[in-house]
Amino acid sequence: MSTPLVLTYVGFFVMAAITLGGALMAVSARNLIRAALGLIIALIGIAGIYFVLEAEFVAVVQILVYVGAISILILFAVMLTRGLMKRDLPAQNAQWIAAAFISLAMFAALLYVALSTNWRAVETQVAGDLIPKLGTELMTTYLLPFEAVSLLLLAALVGAIVIARE
Amino acid sequence: MSLSVPDLNFRVIAPALIVALTALIVLLAELVTPAPRKRWLGVLGLIGLLIAAGATVGLWGAPASAFGGMVVADNFGLFLTLVILLGAALSILLALDFVRAHRVDQGEYYVLVLFAVVGMILMATATDLIVIFLALELLSLPLYILAAFKRADARSLEAGLKYFLLGAFSSAFFLYGIAFIFGGTGTTNLMKIADALAKNPRNDLLLVGAGLLLVGFAFKVALVPFHWWTPDVYDGAPTAVTAFMSVGVKAAAFGAFFRAFLVALPAFAFDWRIVLAALAVLTMTLGNVAALLQSNVKRMLAYSSIAHAGYILIALVAMGASGLSSALFYLLAYTLTNLGAFGAVIALSDGERERLEIRDWGGAARQYPFIAAMFAIFMLSLAGFPPLAGFTGKFLIFSAAVETGWAWLAVIGVLNSLVSAYFYLRPIVQMYMSEPVPGWDRIRVAPLVALALVLALIGVIALGLYPTPAIVMATGGFLR
Amino acid sequence: MPVDYLPILVMIAIVTAFAVIALTLSAMTGPRRPNPTKLSPYESGMPPFGSARRRFSIKYYLTAVLFILFDIEIIFFYPWAVLFRDLGWFGLSAMGTFMLVLLIGYVYVWRKGGFEWD
Repeated sequence: MSTPLVLTYVGFFVMAAITLGGALMAVSARNLIRAALGLIIALIGIAGIYFVLEAEFVAVVQILVYVGAISILILFAVMLTRGLMKRDLPAQNAQWIAAAFISLAMFAALLYVALSTNWRAVETQVAGDLIPKLGTELMTTYLLPFEAVSLLLLAALVGAIVIARE
Repeated sequence: MSLSVPDLNFRVIAPALIVALTALIVLLAELVTPAPRKRWLGVLGLIGLLIAAGATVGLWGAPASAFGGMVVADNFGLFLTLVILLGAALSILLALDFVRAHRVDQGEYYVLVLFAVVGMILMATATDLIVIFLALELLSLPLYILAAFKRADARSLEAGLKYFLLGAFSSAFFLYGIAFIFGGTGTTNLMKIADALAKNPRNDLLLVGAGLLLVGFAFKVALVPFHWWTPDVYDGAPTAVTAFMSVGVKAAAFGAFFRAFLVALPAFAFDWRIVLAALAVLTMTLGNVAALLQSNVKRMLAYSSIAHAGYILIALVAMGASGLSSALFYLLAYTLTNLGAFGAVIALSDGERERLEIRDWGGAARQYPFIAAMFAIFMLSLAGFPPLAGFTGKFLIFSAAVETGWAWLAVIGVLNSLVSAYFYLRPIVQMYMSEPVPGWDRIRVAPLVALALVLALIGVIALGLYPTPAIVMATGGFLR
Repeated sequence: MPVDYLPILVMIAIVTAFAVIALTLSAMTGPRRPNPTKLSPYESGMPPFGSARRRFSIKYYLTAVLFILFDIEIIFFYPWAVLFRDLGWFGLSAMGTFMLVLLIGYVYVWRKGGFEWD
């Protein structure tokens, strides 16, 4: 294997380990703040995976929106709710066996597909900077979804005011 | 650098565009409308919906696609657009007095309904999974808020939160499915997925993707076993909102469901119809059996809507032109009937106090013979009694199933209809035969609600007696 | 190329190693003589009053949600902004429509008092 490829592998496994560790912490912590911290770690790991996959823009967006903003919102939600911070909450409920079974079944199915698929490496390297290409696509091919996003954001804006206004 | 500008055919998206513009206008008008005049914002919304319906009719019969194959205006999509607009207009009629009685008389109500309608129309006419997903979010987000719109009522807030959590969960499945389909075929366009499948019908990535997509759709149209949210959300949400979402979401989500499976996946080596047939049997049976056990009319209608999703799924299993047109007709009949049923619940409520327990309906026929008669007709239509719309819809779906070799599925459907007759007849018996429950004299039926009920009633009877024009309209099919 | 990020990976490794080593060394070698002043959150600052673990005002939530929504809007600006000359009038009108819709939202939030604290 060439050196860059080895580095890609190392980078992927480091980031995957961070993501998995964070995710485990998020679902197993009994304190909600700790669980939120675990989630933040997992989100950072995912941003790292995007970097390894050379999707820099998505990675930066991931850090900006998810690590920077969404996680803060989750922490706020915990802090805004009466008595959530003081208590340790059980990390499992009565349905955890069923949930574990379904998750394992889904994992097995995904694993089977991942192993059975003939992954063809994309031969054509996208030349140059990806962001201008993204901008062009957004304005041409994906113009309709792009404008629909503005409506979606507006609906969320109205919803936030309706729900959270005193 | 030259841009390859996509085909900006705004005509094709005119219905959604008009509703979106109306939503923006109502939102700005909300800021300058004094509190006692908020209902005029609803009237403004109604006008927008009517104009959009006119534009939809204007597009009829000339299938066209636009924005690089992202949306189409084919007769399938336009029929559903009309169903959605009709459902939204009737539910606004129901809401105009309802929001005042429940002291949530705000312009945002209509704005959110209109946003949801834009999402629904886009979902029914989209031919690209990205647009379908965005449309799904655009219709879901306002509905989460609307379910929680009555903030003074803890049950309404609970309904909103529950709907939001499970809706977000199902959206994740949906998006994950899209990612797998993109991985397997390199495209999100439904027609191009079909092309990729035609070349290579065995595709494991696509199989997983389609499965996850199915879970997402199943959540939205409330198929068993993905239906758990439905009774709680339908029960807790304000009744006018329940009426709207019970019909609009079904029409839009089934539209995209049919399109995704019938346009993109017919060449698939894996026969997904057997999975859908199993889901249909589960959904019909559990929906009807659970509805039998309900004493609350909103919960009963919630389980009934689950059962109806099962009937519509039979049409998807049947595939073909007859399956498609029967589903469209059924959705139209279901929209009118269900809105009428919820409308009668709204009509027979005393301000904020709604009579939700069926045993409290005793004597309604004596005090309100017209409302009671209309409610009885809606119940009979849901049960599938001739000569009403619900009967014709069921007849079309079951005969489409028999035609395509799914007779056993049709038999289970008929048996389920028989079971359902019991719980649909129960409130009628209560209204006509039981001792009067006190308090009916306090109720004033709002004229606009009565108008909505009469309109729905005319539709239900007309579709039952003279279904041919609607059936002909429903046979347009997809633009592939 | 991921190889371009090698310096960052190396830096992350060094930073992590430094933090671990510094904390371990000080924990092993330093004497421990705690007293109440040392244990307070800000040793030479304000004495804390009340618990930090109380319920916060819902106003923070609204501010945070509005921040996220406009944050996401800005992200959509970025790919357009690096290329806005090439995208020309077409790009400008596409972005203008996007902005107009959100401007209406901005006016709405503003008039509804969403930006006011009290």
